[in-house]
Amino acid sequence: MKPSLAMLTKSGLWQRVFRTRAEDVLPHTVTHQRIYIVPSKRGLAFLLTLLLMLIASVNYSLSLGYALCFLLTGLFSATLLHTYSNLAGLRIKGIAGQNTFAGELADFLITLDDLQDRQRHGIRISAHDFTSAPLSMNMAKPATTCLKIKTQSRGTCQLGRIKLQSDWPLGLWTCWSYLHVPRHALVFPKAELESPALPVQAGDEEGALAKAATTGDVSGLRAYQPGDSIGSIAWKSTARGMGLQSRTFDNDASLAATVLDLQYASVQGLEAKLSRLCAWVLEAEATRTHYALRLPGVSLDNGYGQEQQTKALSALALFDHKGTSAL
Amino acid sequence: MSGATNRSWRRLLPSVGNNHSDLMDARTLHALAALLVLVQFPHLRNMPAWVSASGLLLVGARLCLLHYPAHRVLRVVLSPLSVTALAALSAFVIRWDYGYFVGRDPCVAFLFILVAAKFAEVRRANDATLLLCLGAFLLLTQYFYSQTMVSALITLPAVIALAYSLSVLRDSSNPESGASQLKLISVLLLQGLPIAALLFVVFPRLPGPLWSLPEDSMATTGLSDSMSPGSIGQLSQSGAVAFRVEFDDDVPEPSQLYWRGPVLTQFDGRNWALSDERYAVTPNYAGSPDNALHYTVTLQAHQQNWLFALDTAISLPTSYTATAQNESQNLRAIGRMYDDGQILANDTVSQTIRYRQRSVLGNSFPAAGEPASETRYLPGRNKRTIDFAKTLRSEVNTDREFAHRVLQHFNVEPFRYTLRPQLLGNSPVDDFMFNSREGFCEHYAAAFVVMMRAAGIPARVVTGYQGGEMNGDYMIVRQSNAHAWTEAYIDGTWQRFDPTSAVAPSRIEGGLAAALPNESFVPRMARHAPGLLRTMQLRWDAANHHWQRLVVDFDNDSQAGLWDRLGLGKPTQWQIMVVFLLLAGIWSAVVLRSPHRQSKKLDIQERYWQRLSLFLYNKGLPRRPSESPSEFLQRAATAWPSHQESLQQLDNIFTALRFRSLDVAERQTLIGNAKKELRSLRLALLFNRSLKPI
Repeated sequence: MKPSLAMLTKSGLWQRVFRTRAEDVLPHTVTHQRIYIVPSKRGLAFLLTLLLMLIASVNYSLSLGYALCFLLTGLFSATLLHTYSNLAGLRIKGIAGQNTFAGELADFLITLDDLQDRQRHGIRISAHDFTSAPLSMNMAKPATTCLKIKTQSRGTCQLGRIKLQSDWPLGLWTCWSYLHVPRHALVFPKAELESPALPVQAGDEEGALAKAATTGDVSGLRAYQPGDSIGSIAWKSTARGMGLQSRTFDNDASLAATVLDLQYASVQGLEAKLSRLCAWVLEAEATRTHYALRLPGVSLDNGYGQEQQTKALSALALFDHKGTSAL
Repeated sequence: MSGATNRSWRRLLPSVGNNHSDLMDARTLHALAALLVLVQFPHLRNMPAWVSASGLLLVGARLCLLHYPAHRVLRVVLSPLSVTALAALSAFVIRWDYGYFVGRDPCVAFLFILVAAKFAEVRRANDATLLLCLGAFLLLTQYFYSQTMVSALITLPAVIALAYSLSVLRDSSNPESGASQLKLISVLLLQGLPIAALLFVVFPRLPGPLWSLPEDSMATTGLSDSMSPGSIGQLSQSGAVAFRVEFDDDVPEPSQLYWRGPVLTQFDGRNWALSDERYAVTPNYAGSPDNALHYTVTLQAHQQNWLFALDTAISLPTSYTATAQNESQNLRAIGRMYDDGQILANDTVSQTIRYRQRSVLGNSFPAAGEPASETRYLPGRNKRTIDFAKTLRSEVNTDREFAHRVLQHFNVEPFRYTLRPQLLGNSPVDDFMFNSREGFCEHYAAAFVVMMRAAGIPARVVTGYQGGEMNGDYMIVRQSNAHAWTEAYIDGTWQRFDPTSAVAPSRIEGGLAAALPNESFVPRMARHAPGLLRTMQLRWDAANHHWQRLVVDFDNDSQAGLWDRLGLGKPTQWQIMVVFLLLAGIWSAVVLRSPHRQSKKLDIQERYWQRLSLFLYNKGLPRRPSESPSEFLQRAATAWPSHQESLQQLDNIFTALRFRSLDVAERQTLIGNAKKELRSLRLALLFNRSLKPI
């Protein structure tokens, strides 16, 4: 069989060099097998100058000219090793994608540490043409850097292959290492800017006029769950040392009426509808209104709070979605 | 498309308005300015004053613009368009000043201006890269003019500035302080040094120029190809070094040190000049090779092509080889000999060269053939001298007797040896012989040759150097050793006569200062008076000589000599390459394994504890294996009740250092306290006798 490009891309070599598939696992230590280093543009210009200087030294038999050339060559070589060891031994402990709205920046928090007690300088991490601010690390202390990736449309924002790079100390060499771990951030639909008021369901007008969940008569206490409003926490019982407890209210059930259904969004196009639903979810959260979400094939029960919002927005992000959202 | 063109045109015009965003930040500009000034500094003495001044002014102006970004005049002057115009104008002025443009010196001058001009309009990082490269090249060009130890040393700050600029250009918002960046750069340079040294030794040296620019005219120093009354006297007032000599074996007597230079045969009644009818000969020597004197001459650049050799040279000068043994293998003559005994180099001596030479000492010189008619010719001037010579000749029988009679005349009659004789008239020899009767070596030599020729004896003036001063293992010959003597053709050989020795014998034995003790024109370095300054200058000269020998003259031959001395024979380029790569590999491993860890700081408490334990051990209190540090110190406190407090304090400190979680400042304080306590304890127990083990 003749080797073809397709075969090459499938073969291990391609993957080993370019890390096109997300096969790496964390924590990952950057080792010499993964580090590439070439002269930077400035480094090439510097080399060319050294060559010219050498030719001039040969032509005029300048012993000190040779010495100067070689001193700068020594500097250039020492820089190579420093650039390399600035990256080698670095460990990527974790990468966490932070969800965002379409059109905004998705933050990927990357935590690095070091097994070698080194000072590291000016390490930048990039993916999809977005680069993080230069990161300096001191003596094995973990550091976190934020890689912001611009998103375009709702769905998932795959981090894709990240490139750790550095040209420290003199910018004569550029050194990089690829890492491809399956990480993504959810990209919620862009909230419609001037959305109409929350839909009012027939036969349940109180629901539309629902007051804050923390009004009404307290019917009992239950253990605090993430997502419960701060206002619903029974501080008195907490002060008694019973842990965090949330008060439950009589009118909970009556507030379940706000149903956000895709059908209620009376705009053209799926994306526009999802945008409106997104705006409604946010508005419901802002006004502390309980809501349920109905999408074809997706049904989210009545609820309210951070957890509910994340569930709702995630459902909107992933509804009928294909492909990644990064630019 | 047109937009882009428009924009690129805009860049050339002075930008008006308040858009300063394209300007480089201050840190980068300061780094580049420092680099530029350090690169320009070694050139200041080589450049015409106007070039130096405009280079420095452009740098200064750019820095002013940084601090007064809204200054109208500066903005206009330093706009790319006007800077380009200035650079172009300077090219024309350089052409006019030097008289030519395509040559080494005007090109360096133009590069000097160009680098400063580039800095004046530097805006972006790419410009800065170009600036760095030009600056690095300009740094190299200083070696066209000087390769001394000093020029090597003044390169170092510029190299550091170059690396610093690179560091700042990489990321000017880098939070690292300038000091820590400089520290890192010194580490980089030190680590690069082995590679540099290795390359310097193993890199093949290609002989000869790859191309040559039109000859640069340079001021000549040293002897010239003609002699008129006063010319050598003037030269003698310089203490500059003409050449240095290392003798393989014994150093000859001062009276035998006649370094032959230009031989002047043509005479027009006043001036002496080189003969036009010279031809190259092969030096042949029939005598025993044991008499030959082997030596190495390090000749300073003098922009002429003559070389100097002791009378009488029996070999052509060969390029210097590191060891005398392989001299025969590397017989590469770098010059040729003429029938008058003068040796000329193949190329102008425009930089310091080293060559091997062999001579046999003697005051007669075998003639290559019948003397040319030039050597008998006398123009119609100086009639009185000629008549006098003819009378004198008739009184003696042989030519040799006549020559001695003339020398005797100089000796007996009241002739005076001085650097500052009276000016001579139209018949200078007559004037000298019968009126002024005072002069320097050239006056005596000229008069002697005229009298010889008047008596029909072929004679000529030889210029060169006489004498030399030993400095350690080598001899320094200075311009103040410049001398003129004569040769007369008697009995088929050229016989040396030095009329100066008849007037001032001490000149030949003891040098200029001995002959002219009271003349202040004698250069200080020609005086042999001991003194700290003179000793230091001689030391400095020795250091420079070794520098020249070991570094500046390191060439193909020295390389071969080095392999030879290391017992490697003649390694091929492949073998050298393999060894180089091997050594480079070892170097990489060593450099990679020496990261700037700060573990020392973490261990400092451990160090102090060990110091304390060792101290107590020496005082006869070893720690028992079962003892905890705290128990150990308690025991020590009972052993020295007078120092209980201090030992208790140390116990507290070490316990805290080990077990309490401390921030950096607290740690530092505690470690400082531990140091203080330890010191006072040591001081207090200094004279205490050792304890018996408890």
